[in-house]
Amino acid sequence: MVTGYGAVTPLGLNVEDTWRNLIAGVSGVGYISLFDTTDFKVRIAAEVKDFDPVAYLDPTTARRNDRFAQFALTAGLQAIEAAGLKVDDANRYDVGVLIGSGVGGLDSLAQQLDILKTRGPTRVSPFLVPMMIADSAASQVSIKMGIMGPNFGLISACATGTDVLGVAYKMIKWGEVKAMVVGGADAAVTPVGLAGFAQAGALSRNSEPQKASRPFDMERDGFVVGEGAAVLVLENLNYAVSRGANIIAEVVGYGATSDAFHITQPLENGEAAAKAIELALADVERNEVGYINAHGTSTPLNDVSETRAIKKIFGDKAYEIPTSSIKSMLGHMMGAAGAIEAVVCCKVISEGVIPPTVNLEHPDLECDLDYVPNVARAGDVRIAISNSFGFGGHNSVIAIGRYDGQ
Amino acid sequence: MNVFEEVKKALCKANPGLEESKVVSNALLKDDLDIDSLDMVEIAMSLEDIFNITLSEDEMENITTVGDVVSVIDARLKVKSG
Repeated sequence: MVTGYGAVTPLGLNVEDTWRNLIAGVSGVGYISLFDTTDFKVRIAAEVKDFDPVAYLDPTTARRNDRFAQFALTAGLQAIEAAGLKVDDANRYDVGVLIGSGVGGLDSLAQQLDILKTRGPTRVSPFLVPMMIADSAASQVSIKMGIMGPNFGLISACATGTDVLGVAYKMIKWGEVKAMVVGGADAAVTPVGLAGFAQAGALSRNSEPQKASRPFDMERDGFVVGEGAAVLVLENLNYAVSRGANIIAEVVGYGATSDAFHITQPLENGEAAAKAIELALADVERNEVGYINAHGTSTPLNDVSETRAIKKIFGDKAYEIPTSSIKSMLGHMMGAAGAIEAVVCCKVISEGVIPPTVNLEHPDLECDLDYVPNVARAGDVRIAISNSFGFGGHNSVIAIGRYDGQ
Repeated sequence: MNVFEEVKKALCKANPGLEESKVVSNALLKDDLDIDSLDMVEIAMSLEDIFNITLSEDEMENITTVGDVVSVIDARLKVKSG
């Protein structure tokens, strides 16, 4: 059961602001302000704006955490508060934390590498390791909240934010924990991060920031790096009911497969991605799926292979299922992408509104589904799925359903 | 340069939540000021830079109070000037 969520995104410092902007079709992409991009081929990103960690965290905690962990902590505390989850001696060991990250404290590492080179090993910060390690996001939430069940991270590149939900869902299902604080966080808008993705040919070179992320459009030429975090509280039904929690939606399935093909390119025919969708829908009626939150990165390869995967599973019905990519507005939040997309699936189900794919002006001939172009629309959705694929051939799909009560 | 003031500055920088008035000579670094072993490494690095000295790990190991930090630096500076 999903009982709460929180988020820090390029479109807002909480879920409500983010959602409002998403359904209004607002783009969070702009020129990079975090560092000087003079020598860079790519100068745009979807940055989190006006984020002052001290507004959410005490100054010492803020200082001892990389930006990605600051995002995670902020979103995590929002989620726990929204869920009304009190952690005390009665339930400390029944609650766990699982927050993943694609690149962890990349900027902290880069800064200390500079210091290592210019000033030598005795000037490297003792906080490098705790700030760099990707599990610090989960650990900080555990420390802050006194959560003493399992706490760890998980990494599957851009599928991280969906895999964490799948793993937490199974841990709850198997009875290992009663509740999990689960999500993803990344802050890859850093000089080395941007250069790395650009050199891999993955990023859009579009000079108009707000037009750059254009999933399924003929003129798409790569993704836009985003950043942020999203965290959800998942718990088993009995526990949620016993503590009188407000149940927003429920996770009804998870599927994960691998392309076993190439480290950056997806399998063209979408075969393994289709299998992941099939697995996620193993326990529900396929024809109840009323919304697909696409991975939709805006890269030439992803959007075609994802479209093929969707058609493989849904056949002719694929054309009737609204399918949108919020990366058109949020950029690619990396390890946080799947988590914010799951939050959005919950919102779609509870609010009856489907966010659009913006910048879809001339659809690619091979991308011929209903991508909810440019304008949000009403939709009564019982089951939504969110696809996430990642460098390394990860295909992960989570299915989220309306909770009607029993 | 006033050694105590520099030590105080370094402590407050390491722990921005710290109230300056708490930083007194007999304050315990760990229990009173919430300064842990990682903070101490960072504080030692910055004091080394400020006073142009090198503090050994042995010296730092026996430190428990603000006054201890000041004493170690004073001793170093004396050796340097002597």
